[in-house]
Amino acid sequence: MTDLVKVTIDERTVEVPKGTGVVETAAAAGIEIPVFCYEPRLGAPVGACRMCLVEVEGMPKLQAGCTLTATDGMVVHTARTSKLSAEGQNATLEFILVNHPLDCPVCDKGGECPLQDLTFRYGPGNTRMTFPKRTFEKPIPISPLIALDRERCILCYRCTRFSEEVAEDGQLVAVNRGSQSVIATFEDEPYRGAFSGNVTELCPVGALTSTQYRFEARPWEIQNVPTVCGLCPVGCNISATTREGKVKRILSRNHPEVDEGWLCDKGRFAYAHLGARDRITAPLVKAGPRRFEQISWDDALDAAESTLRAGGSSTVTALSGGESVEEAYALARLMREGLGANTAVLPEEVPDRFDAYRAPLSALRDAKTIAVVCDEPVVERAPVVDLWLRSARRKGAAITYGVPEGDVDALVTDQAGPRYGATNVYHLPRTPNGRGVADAWSAAGDGEPVDEKPRVLVISGDEAATDPAVRAIAAEAEFVLGIGMFEDSFRGIADLVLPGVSYLERDGTTVNLEDRLQRQRRAVVAPVPDVTMWISKLAERFDVEVSPHVSVLFDELAAKCFGGIAFSDVGERADLPPRAEEVSDTNPVSDARTTGAGLRLVAYRPLFSGAAVERTPELEFQKPEAEIQLSRDDAKARGIKNGQTVTVSSNGTSVELRARVAKDIHSGVVRIAREHAADLHANVEVKP
Amino acid sequence: MATPEIVFANATTSYAEYGGYTALERARAMTPAEATEELMASELRGRGGAFFPTGRKWSFVPSKEQLPKPHYLVVNADESEPGSFKDNEILSRVPHRFIEGCLITAHAVDCAHVFVYIRGEYSGPYEILVNALEEVPKDVLGGVTIVVHRGAGAYICGEETALLESLEGKRGQPRSKPPFPAVSGLYAAPTVVNNVETIATVPPIIAMGGAEYAKLGVPNTRGTRVVSISGNVVNGGNYEIEAGMSMHDIIYGLGGGIPDGRELKAVVPGGSSTVILTKDEVDVGYDFDSLGALHTAMGSAGIVVLDDRCCIVQLGIRFSEFYEHESCGKCTPCREGTRWLTAILRKLEDGRATQADLDLLLDVCDRINGKCLCPLGDSDAIIVASYVAKFRDEFQAHIDEGSCPFGGASSLDHVLAPVAMHTHAPAVPA
Repeated sequence: MTDLVKVTIDERTVEVPKGTGVVETAAAAGIEIPVFCYEPRLGAPVGACRMCLVEVEGMPKLQAGCTLTATDGMVVHTARTSKLSAEGQNATLEFILVNHPLDCPVCDKGGECPLQDLTFRYGPGNTRMTFPKRTFEKPIPISPLIALDRERCILCYRCTRFSEEVAEDGQLVAVNRGSQSVIATFEDEPYRGAFSGNVTELCPVGALTSTQYRFEARPWEIQNVPTVCGLCPVGCNISATTREGKVKRILSRNHPEVDEGWLCDKGRFAYAHLGARDRITAPLVKAGPRRFEQISWDDALDAAESTLRAGGSSTVTALSGGESVEEAYALARLMREGLGANTAVLPEEVPDRFDAYRAPLSALRDAKTIAVVCDEPVVERAPVVDLWLRSARRKGAAITYGVPEGDVDALVTDQAGPRYGATNVYHLPRTPNGRGVADAWSAAGDGEPVDEKPRVLVISGDEAATDPAVRAIAAEAEFVLGIGMFEDSFRGIADLVLPGVSYLERDGTTVNLEDRLQRQRRAVVAPVPDVTMWISKLAERFDVEVSPHVSVLFDELAAKCFGGIAFSDVGERADLPPRAEEVSDTNPVSDARTTGAGLRLVAYRPLFSGAAVERTPELEFQKPEAEIQLSRDDAKARGIKNGQTVTVSSNGTSVELRARVAKDIHSGVVRIAREHAADLHANVEVKP
Repeated sequence: MATPEIVFANATTSYAEYGGYTALERARAMTPAEATEELMASELRGRGGAFFPTGRKWSFVPSKEQLPKPHYLVVNADESEPGSFKDNEILSRVPHRFIEGCLITAHAVDCAHVFVYIRGEYSGPYEILVNALEEVPKDVLGGVTIVVHRGAGAYICGEETALLESLEGKRGQPRSKPPFPAVSGLYAAPTVVNNVETIATVPPIIAMGGAEYAKLGVPNTRGTRVVSISGNVVNGGNYEIEAGMSMHDIIYGLGGGIPDGRELKAVVPGGSSTVILTKDEVDVGYDFDSLGALHTAMGSAGIVVLDDRCCIVQLGIRFSEFYEHESCGKCTPCREGTRWLTAILRKLEDGRATQADLDLLLDVCDRINGKCLCPLGDSDAIIVASYVAKFRDEFQAHIDEGSCPFGGASSLDHVLAPVAMHTHAPAVPA
């Protein structure tokens, strides 16, 4: 039981836990204290904007409510009951507006702008400022993604605090002084970082706007659809803003256990892939080595049926891990029940031994000791997990990269290795819904794969279609049936392609890295039918009854996998299921995989890669640089300095890359983004 | 003290001349608590301007058992208040007395790290201090490291929390208090922040004993004070006076009166941020209580004397421009308000203002005052409001005559430098 303190705010008495801020205390009493700069997620309050001025009995001056902590017996008067406070807030707004351009009619924020709202509620109705306003050059692109309007900026420092205290990239800073203070990027370089887009959402005015959303919509003609991002295994909760049937932007939808309201730039900006130039809008059939032709749905289903019949039980299904649980389940039933084709290339191995140690991501922040045993950088695989780790470190957690020496509170790993005595384990899958897809496949049947050379390969999703391992199987197969969104992914390998849909265009569920089952909602209608719709039709021809409706598919599956939860009960903010019972450890392999004298190369898949990113030109600048990450020890042993150009070689091939000495990597391992790893083998040597 | 003597007349003392840090020996023979006790007994109050009892400030530092973190002593040598130049001379003339004060204070607050944050433009005092530090024998330092850090030319970094931010390598902007530096200061560790003059006063207090020191001066303002006299006086400069001395005597005695047969018009008693006094108010004791009764303060003891050529509106512009230029930009009322005040004052000076502008000026002052994060914005509002309150007729004349009654000619020739003339000292060559 925490200690409570009794506080009186505007004659209302509330009891709140000791240590609660006055803004929250007022909220508990149902009273709003208006704020601009205050944002608890950005660390300690700064008291800069002075919007939250309140009168506290016993204190001679007005106080900034955001920096005050409630104490027992405190008596607070807000603008509702204190003339002084009302005047203070009115004064703050007058000062803010003195140099604000008031260009609301052409401002993207207009209509959903805290400055507008608070001015209407607390501010002056007219201006007494008769001097020329301060002007700046505008808008300034601080990156291809973000435009900065310095005249609109009210200098609340939310963006710079985010950059400094949350993303810890330190790229966004305030320069100059006093009324000439402006927000800028360090040395006017583009703001390049996995989380830069969050500042557009933090900005309480229209100073930082998304270049993609600029002049695209007004708040009164949009709908926000609550859904879940489908681009990485974190599964951040998002709102998709739509206007006239098109996605116009992605906003975060704070799930305090999953994302705390932060999104990575991939999740926020890559929605542009929905309208890509090579989007598949009708079934395609191969009409030449690099050319497709559109065919009718009837012809496509006929062709698919005959192909699958020819392939029979030897048909192999390659899954992407980007499918919804229901899409994967429908496809699995068609293949397993209809064809007896039980062979699947699943996107990855997802160890269920860790299910007994599952915990919400937010629990990472409370861990005292954390081991990160990852080959790939955490930020590239599951970006928001990187923010949780940073937040834990700021809180004092000891984070070790590589095998820990003793037991740890939390383990973050991308491997199916040992648990290292961790209380909480976070396994980072490679794909957004790898767990759900694997569950769906196994729930759809229990037949054994046949030992026969496959004649037909079914590739589900663009990620599978571009995977080198899947492409190797495709080269051997007589016939390849693809399901996907983009022509370029299937060009040259598929004989028949049926259109797929994006996570923003479908209803369904997905399972994130924590094992949290989350609901995706259709934000916009796809230019093609749902995947489950035509699978249902195709399954009919094989006498398998597969419902086209996701709710029915889910209910079938939920009975087997998700404890019988109803589709309608997978809420807007999903809970984490209770921990599973412990599975006896089956001799997990240890991490010692370094072989020979050289360094083990991890050619990682960068965050800014993949089908959706390739089709979002604004994200081009975020692609990884040609660099090799290596540990401090390895760098020292080879006399390599940070930033130096080095030669990376293996078996006769070599590449020149810039060296980056990274803290989050253990010795014996080096990392290169896949697109820069060229033909390097798994064992490399690095020389200055 | 019948005839106040002019101090600092000697050239810079060397370590040998200074005479061996005897007060330090005496302090080190005491426990830290006893040393702090001496300061309490001396009733010394901070010389930076806020006038907080120094001994009490030291006593707020939690013991290392209560809070196991290093302690820091940070000396505020970022003297930038228009009208104040005492710390410059203290550092230049008696660097060893200052260093001895640092070491005694470090002993009293149980700290091994002293940071002297010196105004960037003070390249002379910086070099003198660094040279003096090199003269101090290791055993005298007793394991205490003294780091001299040069500021980059920001008035706001004289505010203690902004100073700490700047010292940490961040943008110099004030922090919101609490927590106070005594508990969470530099690098979130307990920190004592004292002004140069305060620190330089510590050795004589230890040498003569706190109770003896407290016999000097008047109640609530004990001891002596170094005042910087500038403006329209014959003998400008730094003088050490016993607290309570009449301002009239300071101006006409020490300062030698107003030159060229001019009349006294007004006095800024304690640096730019203190409420102005008219010529009828200068017969007042130079101490906390006497000046407090006139709603003003000793501040940083920069006495700016203004003769009858001074246009108060121009004076307001000069000061307000300074605050606008030096506002850090963190909090809204100061950032926007100081700029607005300057604009209104310029309009008044140009004779374009209406009656409503004068009301607006006072209202803007009122809207800044008491709403800022630190005292910078408040200062601008308070002094401008005081100019109007005490020289309303002159403001009115600007409106009625549609021009400056002084013809717009600068009457502030020897009264502070305008912002446009502020220059930054060149970097000290390596």
